[in-house]
Amino acid sequence: MTKLVWRQILGHPVRSLLTVGAVFVGVFLLCMLRSVVVALNAGVDAASAARLMVQSSVSLFVSLPISYKERIAGVEGVEAISKWQWFGGFYQDQSNFFAQFAVDPVELFDAYPELEIAPEVKQRFLERRNACIVGEQLFEQFRDEGWEVGKSIPMIGALFPHPSGGAWEFELAGTYRSATGALDNRTMFFQWDFFEKTAEQTECGVFVLKVAPGADVSRIMAEIDTLYENGPQKVRTTTEKEFQRQFVTMIGAVPLFVSWIGGGAVLAILMACVNTMLLAARQQVHDVGILKALGFTDGTAFQLMLAQSLTLCVLGGALGVGFALVTEPVLVTLLGTFFPGYAITPETVGLGLGAALLLGLVAGIAPAMSSARLNPVQALRGT
Amino acid sequence: MNEAMIRVRGLTKRYQRGGETLTVLDGLELEMQEGGFYALMGPSGSGKTTLLNLIGGLDQADDGELFVAGENLAELDNAGLAHWRAASVGFVFQGFNLIPVLSAFENVELPLKLTPLSRAERRQHAEFALELVGLKERMHHRPKQLSGGQEQRVAIARAIATDPKLILADEPTGDLDRKSADQVLELLGRLNAEFKKTILMVTHDPHAAEAAKSVVHLDKGQLKGIEEKRR
Repeated sequence: MTKLVWRQILGHPVRSLLTVGAVFVGVFLLCMLRSVVVALNAGVDAASAARLMVQSSVSLFVSLPISYKERIAGVEGVEAISKWQWFGGFYQDQSNFFAQFAVDPVELFDAYPELEIAPEVKQRFLERRNACIVGEQLFEQFRDEGWEVGKSIPMIGALFPHPSGGAWEFELAGTYRSATGALDNRTMFFQWDFFEKTAEQTECGVFVLKVAPGADVSRIMAEIDTLYENGPQKVRTTTEKEFQRQFVTMIGAVPLFVSWIGGGAVLAILMACVNTMLLAARQQVHDVGILKALGFTDGTAFQLMLAQSLTLCVLGGALGVGFALVTEPVLVTLLGTFFPGYAITPETVGLGLGAALLLGLVAGIAPAMSSARLNPVQALRGT
Repeated sequence: MNEAMIRVRGLTKRYQRGGETLTVLDGLELEMQEGGFYALMGPSGSGKTTLLNLIGGLDQADDGELFVAGENLAELDNAGLAHWRAASVGFVFQGFNLIPVLSAFENVELPLKLTPLSRAERRQHAEFALELVGLKERMHHRPKQLSGGQEQRVAIARAIATDPKLILADEPTGDLDRKSADQVLELLGRLNAEFKKTILMVTHDPHAAEAAKSVVHLDKGQLKGIEEKRR
């Protein structure tokens, strides 16, 4: 029967190719769009329950006095505190956008123990005044443009222009790798002290807190907010998850739209596949009649049609998933700036193949049932 | 005296057409012996093909008894009929009814897949059947690459591949030129004479009926008589 399934598929090459092609495109889109949505939500999903973020209650774009750090650090249950300042610069050209933050290296490593960094890189970062570290993916993107450990990376400060009027020069200490999605691998961190002195900065964007194991997070959040209830700058303390979610919220319903587009593509292809398989079933009525006359059962007729549908859809799905995997590095380069966590995960592979399998089942079930129900005499007449 | 291969008692088949009930077979009584070669003749609408379909287990009667090759077909459900067809009967159709995407060999091998034979045995049986119809050298050709007469001979090879006792042929020469028709009739005669196959052949063609040993005449769903040929 396997031979007959293949022969029926190969016997109508144009129809089969179009079906496989449609499923291929649909599954590829599904995998790609899902990866975009996953990337958008990566920070939210990977947020640590042990970290809190303190920002201005007015807006994320309003800075907080650095002097707040001591009082916040003194709240019971706060284990570590790290001040962060969004730099908002660019490398050579504005299209080379990636995130850059001024941080205190010691504070950063205390607050983010999941950061993987070679000891010598860490040492260089701690010791050099204008040192910076970059995520592995970011480094790979610009390696061909001359990024090299020990060399200087000139950054144009859009929010914080260099007093000389030229570029900020950050010496590359090495790379880091984030084991979780809470931090992506496409960010640059540079020395706070260098930034503070050069830009005469007295404020920071947010404080990242690491809370002690077992500490009452709600109490800590409430206590910090109360500290500055009467100003001078009111603060809002949130969980890391909530903090990350506000970035996703900023782009509105885009993740939902993207999900709808993916779902819509699959639905459209499902309808095309159902139509194709119904056509195939009509074309094979006579062949099914022959099989039944020879003694093959209704079950065999059912399997023949369903197997064709499954074969075409699974083949298209496998090609779609394969193409998504093959193009992953290219898309990471192209889309990495906007979707830093873009990756075809095993779950996405499973979703793609599962969707293809489901497409095959749903598209094939009606034609298979109609083939099974065919009366051999009528089928031989082709009616 | 041979055993009855086909025994028909009060066989009735009706169809619904446009709200009307059409009685195609009307209490038919008939008996055909094992090893016989029967031509089934009659005017259009006399019920020839309907009777052939019922005897072949492709359709079910509304009333009456139908014993074929020792089996009461009225007692079998769809699956039972399918198994019975696979084991007991070979079909030859007017339009050949070969599966176009399969080669001649694969078409002949198809019914053998319903048997417990091994792959090698299936190959042996299929090649033997194709050799018998003189088409072994064309076994890898697709139906499109064969002439009508050759296609019909492949269909005969397929009908005998599982070695059924009964071969049912519905106008087997209807779409063939005289020369090809004669080859097919000669082949059917040989299967009857040498291999002791019981053959029931529906035909309009008196020339084709000449190949049979007996001619069964049907009219308006009833038996009009059986004419025995002298040889």
